[in-house]
Amino acid sequence: MHPLLVQYRAVVVKEVRQTVRDRRVMALLTIAPLVQLFVLGFAVNFDVRHVPTVVVDQDRTVESRDYARAQLAGDTLDLKAELRDEHAAEEALEDGRASVALVLPRDFQKDVLRGQGAQVQALVDGSDPTRSGVASDAVARFAALRATQLLQAQARAQGTSVPRAPVALVPRVLYNPELSTSVYVVPGIAAMLLLIVTTVIMAMGLSRERETGTLEQLQVTPLRPGILMAGKVTPFLVIGLVDVGLALSVGAWVFGVPLRGSLVLVAVATLFYLLSTLGVGLLIATVSRTQQQAFVGGFLFVLPAVLLSGVMSPIRAMPDWLAVVTYVNPVRYYVEVLRGSLLKDAGLPDLWRQLVMLAAFGTVVMSVAARRFHKTSA
Amino acid sequence: MSAEAAVDVELKDVRRAFGATQALRGVSLAVHAGEVYGLVGPDGAGKTTSIRLMAGLLLPDAGQVRTLSEDPAAPRSHVRESLGLVPQRNTLYGDLSVEENLRFFARLFALSKEDFAERRARLLDITRLGRFTDRRADALSGGMYKKLALACALLHRPRVLLLDEPTNGVDPVSRRELWELLYGLVHEGMTLIVSTPYMDEAARCHRVGLLYAGELIAQGAPRELTRAHGVAASDFEAVFLALVEKHTGGRAA
Repeated sequence: MHPLLVQYRAVVVKEVRQTVRDRRVMALLTIAPLVQLFVLGFAVNFDVRHVPTVVVDQDRTVESRDYARAQLAGDTLDLKAELRDEHAAEEALEDGRASVALVLPRDFQKDVLRGQGAQVQALVDGSDPTRSGVASDAVARFAALRATQLLQAQARAQGTSVPRAPVALVPRVLYNPELSTSVYVVPGIAAMLLLIVTTVIMAMGLSRERETGTLEQLQVTPLRPGILMAGKVTPFLVIGLVDVGLALSVGAWVFGVPLRGSLVLVAVATLFYLLSTLGVGLLIATVSRTQQQAFVGGFLFVLPAVLLSGVMSPIRAMPDWLAVVTYVNPVRYYVEVLRGSLLKDAGLPDLWRQLVMLAAFGTVVMSVAARRFHKTSA
Repeated sequence: MSAEAAVDVELKDVRRAFGATQALRGVSLAVHAGEVYGLVGPDGAGKTTSIRLMAGLLLPDAGQVRTLSEDPAAPRSHVRESLGLVPQRNTLYGDLSVEENLRFFARLFALSKEDFAERRARLLDITRLGRFTDRRADALSGGMYKKLALACALLHRPRVLLLDEPTNGVDPVSRRELWELLYGLVHEGMTLIVSTPYMDEAARCHRVGLLYAGELIAQGAPRELTRAHGVAASDFEAVFLALVEKHTGGRAA
């Protein structure tokens, strides 16, 4: 075997031995990501259901009671109390007992029956924009539906027919028909956990060698820095691939994340992504003198990388100047590949740009880390 | 030591600072092949800096360092294939066993299986670590750890061996054993450069360089130095104190 390969194998074997023997690191690499995926998969949920609602029925007629009952029949709004006036409803919103208040005015029934356009007021707590947006939509949708039903009933009673709307919208949701948050969020969480684990472990691993002096011992051997880095990265590439496999399995079985696309494509993207995250870890190690510095450095990279990736909030919602930064964020491209491939069965023709960006980022960051490592170790 | 012997390690007017601290102030010395050269001096004298420069782990601010006729810090320097280092700190992998450490370093030097088997047997024999091959390095005693570090540094039969305070924190019995080991290596033709703060160890070297506050204040064979100062050969400490006093004009006494 070529001496370089002998050296490479020696470093890989050493890394594997040290990693396997360190129970805390093993737990951090395997169990922790799965537990976090499981917990975060349930915790990060944008589905809005069971919004606490109070009703102020000032009319107290059959029609007003019917309206309120029908509005609350679904699982979006939950009736918490019936209150006597608007002031009490505002108090309930203020102290957090309710997020929505429906106010049905006096003469509601009379106006409905006369066809004079009864007005229902919906007070919505806007402090949580997502929740209030969904609740407002639910109330508005129901009001439109109810109006159509009433018009149809009146037309039937008069023996006429209701004219059809000139334009009718027929929504059909693709890829995630139940609009489940988990299906959308779990691939993002998997990318995030992989980033945290591999970047921080890599940064701390090399810093530990520097701190304990073993790196210095290696520097007086013929071992080339490139071979040392390759040997150190290899076991974590394998562990990262296994982590992704486990995360996708948990995502499929527990959260119903579909595996529609090519797993080979996902594996290739994961490999490029890991080159980027491990490369960043190595780069951080070259500017850190201690493991503590490496740990902090790791998180200084990880936090903005996650926030500017589209994992938690859509990139198109960011201001333009900030959205530009996401173009140099590998997490963005990896999440796009995961979501595209897993949820939409997108293939190479759709995702080649993301793969190229991941490969480019991985290559550049690894090269810079290697160059810096050469410099700082001389 | 014959004057014609090749120079294996040479420092020419070397200066090195760490921030505002001048660690070496124009040190020049030459170590010949097959010599046991002692770098003797108190803590902070510049011994470790000298050793690290010779190993290529540091670059000098000024002056020249040559180890086996090469710049040891050059990226593609071949010196590393012929150099062994036993640092002052414990720098082996504590979570690997004695056997695993030996095997790892043997592979870094790309030793063949046969060569490794022969070297392993010989080194375990002379270091008496044969019974502890399965023990983790961080579970070894101070003396045994130093012996393991020495064994790892000797696997590839280096021409020059640098030892930075190898007997520091080692019990007297292990100290004596270590020195016996080192003499054995010199008989095999190896060049040894040993730093030590212990004056009694200076007498064990062929030649010594006395370092004080980053300067080489004297150099020569221990016996010549003690004779020149009119003290017993075993009283090297008196020589060192007299030289420091002369060098500092009595300020350091």
